[in-house]
Amino acid sequence: MKLIEKKHLVAWGAFLLIMLLMPNFVSNGTLRIFIFANFLAIFAISWDVLSGRTGYISFGHPFLIGIGVYATAIMSKRFGMPVEYSIPLAVLITMLGSVLIFLPALRIKGSYFALVTLAFMELAYQLVQVVRPDLTGGTRGIFGIKTLTRGAENGFYMSMSLMFAVAFSAWLIMRTQLGTALSALGMQEESLEGSGKSTTKLKLAAFMLSAFIAGLGGAFYAHYVGAIAPRTLFDINFLFTIIVAVLLGGSGTIIGPIIGAFFLTFLLEFLRPYLPGAGRYFIYGAIALLLYMYQPKGIYNLLEKLYQRWRGGAA
Amino acid sequence: MKPVLEVRNLVKRFGALVATNDVSFTLHEGESMTLLGPNGAGKTTIFSQIMGELQQSAGSIHLYSEEISRLKPAARIKRQIARTYQVPRPFAELTVLENIRIGHMPNSIWDMLRQRPDLEYERQLAHKVGLAEADYERTPAELSMGDLRKLEMARSMACKPKIMLLDEVFAGLTAAEVSQISELILKMRADGMTFLMVSHDLPALKPLVDTAIAINQGAEIARGSFDQVMANPAVLSSYLGEV
Amino acid sequence: MTQIIIQGMLLSGLYALIAIGFTLIFSVGRVLNLAYGAYLMIGGYVYFYISQQLGLPKGIGLILAAAVGCLAGLLKYRFIAKPLKGNHVAIEIATLILAIVIQSAIILVFGESTKILHSLVPGIVRLEGVTAPWSNILATGLSWVLIIAVFIFVRQSHTGRAMLAVSQDPKGAAICGINGEWINMVTWGISGLLGGVAGVFFASYTQLSPFMWVGPLIVTVAIVIVGGIGSIIGTLIVAHIIGFLEVIVVSYIAPELRGIFTMLLIILFLIFRPRGLFGREELA
Ligand SMILES: Nc1ncnc2c1ncn2[C@@H]1O[C@H](COP(=O)(O)OP(=O)(O)OP(=O)(O)O)[C@@H](O)[C@H]1O
Ligand SMILES: [Mg+2]
Repeated sequence: MKLIEKKHLVAWGAFLLIMLLMPNFVSNGTLRIFIFANFLAIFAISWDVLSGRTGYISFGHPFLIGIGVYATAIMSKRFGMPVEYSIPLAVLITMLGSVLIFLPALRIKGSYFALVTLAFMELAYQLVQVVRPDLTGGTRGIFGIKTLTRGAENGFYMSMSLMFAVAFSAWLIMRTQLGTALSALGMQEESLEGSGKSTTKLKLAAFMLSAFIAGLGGAFYAHYVGAIAPRTLFDINFLFTIIVAVLLGGSGTIIGPIIGAFFLTFLLEFLRPYLPGAGRYFIYGAIALLLYMYQPKGIYNLLEKLYQRWRGGAA
Repeated sequence: MKPVLEVRNLVKRFGALVATNDVSFTLHEGESMTLLGPNGAGKTTIFSQIMGELQQSAGSIHLYSEEISRLKPAARIKRQIARTYQVPRPFAELTVLENIRIGHMPNSIWDMLRQRPDLEYERQLAHKVGLAEADYERTPAELSMGDLRKLEMARSMACKPKIMLLDEVFAGLTAAEVSQISELILKMRADGMTFLMVSHDLPALKPLVDTAIAINQGAEIARGSFDQVMANPAVLSSYLGEV
Repeated sequence: MTQIIIQGMLLSGLYALIAIGFTLIFSVGRVLNLAYGAYLMIGGYVYFYISQQLGLPKGIGLILAAAVGCLAGLLKYRFIAKPLKGNHVAIEIATLILAIVIQSAIILVFGESTKILHSLVPGIVRLEGVTAPWSNILATGLSWVLIIAVFIFVRQSHTGRAMLAVSQDPKGAAICGINGEWINMVTWGISGLLGGVAGVFFASYTQLSPFMWVGPLIVTVAIVIVGGIGSIIGTLIVAHIIGFLEVIVVSYIAPELRGIFTMLLIILFLIFRPRGLFGREELA
């Protein structure tokens, strides 16, 4: 068994090619949907790197993403810092912020941990509204953040390259022994410790990697949309969308969260003409719930099984 | 022979229960010792304290003359001691080889990223403990109890220990597997491995050990050669009292 | 001072009622039912629909809120908790998704805007210069009646004691011939019922909105964990600690710090005393 096989690289190459050619085939409206799907995919990968692998379920991922978003927005809008500095700094700050949810993970597990992270999200929501509203923009958020791209096509290329870079790097990392160890952490923490591995170090690595991706995605997102508000960011619906994207696609993989993110975003768009906002969330929540109950390993696993059956039938 | 593991006046309390009551012993290089005792005597608890999974209430543990009581499990394993678990706890969704890989891989994040897994070593180890080639890419759910124990052996051997603590090595094995594992242990002894073993299969244990310590309700009740200890009336009655 | 005591008692009583319904499930089923917050919403909106849109008597609204809450609990047990039995993470995630589904259903029917509930009973009490609406006092009183009823039920009735048995040792209870299925249904039903009623009270204390469930949910879970899983007394004590501290912060420091303070408190509690204030039990 080789760790990186040719067929994997071919698949990645094909994926990249299709994405690069996309603007030639679809309308600008569709491209805009793709942009959101790309960002959601980044957030979903970030969640999965932490929760899908290590089993530490984060219900506070918007907290991490929000740090990246607010950090770059405040630095560039309020202090006029160039984006070349504000984005890397924002990523760094997000990684520092993730220490806040990493520390509890050393002491508590399972439901407790999930709850603490949820509380962090709620805390962030309250904090940005009250503390230094001159910087955070309070309840109204921040408008007029410098945008990096103009037009759907550029936005698409930007978000797509970012998503591809994140996905491919995460995939490479997960193919290494570190990836194996992180998955092992989610299966049997005690045996991992009993095999001479420092679970503290591994957890820290998972949190840092997850926060890096979250911060990066969040910062670029801020400079794509140009306006942010606490209500849509530190929001349970946002959290829900991220988690559902991972679970629908298939957690513990890289391609799963991407599939899930694309599926969800396009499902929402597909329903848009027929239903108001809440109605769409209702339908897709219901679909997510059903799929989760009956196909808990996600769409990727389903596709894999179908493919194997098809090959079995052909052979 | 030089002492490698010295346990002195070890005490572990769980509330009012004294699970380890002033236990002391010294394990010498290349020695093979067994802890005997009925269910609930406190054998596993002693293992867990040596490995740092449980913190002792009192007493000291020296490994190669270094006091290790404050070290985390990973740091102890780095000092070349490893254990197997009474109930094998493999990584459920990893393959057999990947399970072994976890034991073998370095503990530094950077090295984990950089080093490629040593597939050759993993296969050799799997072969050595008697796992069938066909099982290498299977997950633990597809293995028999016997194979799980072998995997458990391999995973802890992959940590490259010089001292191994084996908890219930023979539980759930067929007669053929018992002799297979016995042979493996004898071979490792010949190569210089130091063992501390626990098993309820006394006949299988007998040819593998030099010395024995019997404990009951956390406290030592006899020590000496295997036969001496088994002839001790206190030991007999503690085992009988179990039934 | 009187102000603090009265406000504190009112808020704490409410928190206690919400938390009791939750602790039942947490102790018997060992799962975080993240859709518990949705019971509050369901109760509040049922009451709103019956009493304010249909104009039926408020008592009927309250009873129907309880009934629909109970039904929601039973359905949730049957279609989510039972099929996913034992898989805590899956139940947590599934209930979170369900909560979102319920939230969107409510927005679909009633819209996103917040609604003000008419008070249960009119009038205001004045006591040493402090005012409190009668309806809040009534809500607190009713909360206490329900809490005491649950307490007596769990301690005295056959079913209640069976619930305790299941919560302490599910396997042992099964061996003793306790029908775990039935106990679970009763627990989820009662929990839904309490949640439904609490929703009405909570909504009249604050306001009715499709987003009203997240905050109370976090507070509730924290109260339950800190109070010691399954300990009704512990839950009551911690509900009062958090309720009073919140009122004190609001009155003496700054009202807008309310949420921040509560969340910080919860985070600190969970990190430093994950096994509860009274160190009762371990639960992963
Ligand atoms: N974490 C714990 N908390 C409380 N009591 C414990 C704990 N671990 C073990 N004990 C108790 O300590 C005593 C010794 O247990 P231990 O598992 O060490 O026995 P053992 O000799 O390995 O028995 P067996 O042959 O059944 O494996 C038992 O009474 C057990 O119930
Ligand atoms: Mg044991």
